[in-house]
Amino acid sequence: MQIKKGKYRLEDRGLNFTVCNDLDFENRGNCFYFRGGNGFGKTSFLEKIIIPRLKNDNIHYIYIGQDIRIQLYTLRALLSIQGINVPNNDEIELLRLWLNNSKSATVFIMDEFDKYFPDYGFIFDWSDSFIRTYIIVTHLSYSRPDAVAEKYRICNVRFELINFDGRFKHVRVKQG
Amino acid sequence: MVIVKLAVILMSILSFLWLFIFGPFYDHIAIQLLVFMGVIGWNMLRFSVRETISLLRFCFPFVLSLFVFGLIFHYVRLLGRQDWLEDTLVKCLVFPSSLIFLKVILTYITYLDILNLPISMKKRVDLITIKSAFSKGEKILRRFSWYLGTYSELKFGSKIKYAMKKYACLIIALYLYLYEEIENSNRLLRNRYQHLYEANE
Repeated sequence: MQIKKGKYRLEDRGLNFTVCNDLDFENRGNCFYFRGGNGFGKTSFLEKIIIPRLKNDNIHYIYIGQDIRIQLYTLRALLSIQGINVPNNDEIELLRLWLNNSKSATVFIMDEFDKYFPDYGFIFDWSDSFIRTYIIVTHLSYSRPDAVAEKYRICNVRFELINFDGRFKHVRVKQG
Repeated sequence: MVIVKLAVILMSILSFLWLFIFGPFYDHIAIQLLVFMGVIGWNMLRFSVRETISLLRFCFPFVLSLFVFGLIFHYVRLLGRQDWLEDTLVKCLVFPSSLIFLKVILTYITYLDILNLPISMKKRVDLITIKSAFSKGEKILRRFSWYLGTYSELKFGSKIKYAMKKYACLIIALYLYLYEEIENSNRLLRNRYQHLYEANE
């Protein structure tokens, strides 16, 4: 799945992206880090551009949103209708069970997951046998968990605000 | 004053139930259609077009399953009745109308109204908790639905199966959320009230 170089406008979010390079999420073994200031549209880019494209291409993916506390309720519901015994308060075990049952996914997207679990190497341990591409939104510096560094090529994608015309934020999305 | 306001709201709810659900206008499809359009318009004015569409989308699977069962009962002439279809159409209007009516009218009860009620603080805290949890729950539905749309595991099987599984998950998630939210908010409010009370003492 590729996001081609070009302009992408999200009217309802007031965002106008200029993607400077083709973003190729198809190559096996890539780990994309999306970085940029607050309000520059990283989450919108994920939820309104990347995820619809993945759905359209029928690519199975795992998405952990920024509001993970809210998402966990849906995960409990999902696992319970699959007949899986869901632990009460153990969030990590809940995630493990979910990932264990999502092995058809090839793309893994995490939006500021490090905010809740600063040391999230366990995610890679559980998923790198079936995930081809990771997309990670982070506000942390260019450090990375060792678990990824060993097996995945790091691709940094910067979100930079070019200007704000009162209605739209014009954001440059640049890899490298 | 707050008693009068709440009495008017309660009377309106009882009148609505008596007139359109249990009473004289229940089986008048034309009137039910008008009521349905009326509450939709009211909801749009009170909230927004987007919120109304989202509410109708939430109701749709329930209305659709009502309709499908009504249709089946009609064609197999269950219990020898021949009015299944008409009765089903009425129910398909009554269900969303009453839900939306209750939802809209209850929003006129404010937190200040609850605080001004001549009841014990414990009961006020309970009422505030319920109001807060349900208003949060309503907002959260769209987000739950969005997340459920991202789970590939739900998509195995037919579209109907997918829709049913998704709605089952939505209801379970909402239930879990409300359960926890009510418990947490209640604990928080009681704690704050207790400490303020002790500080004043």
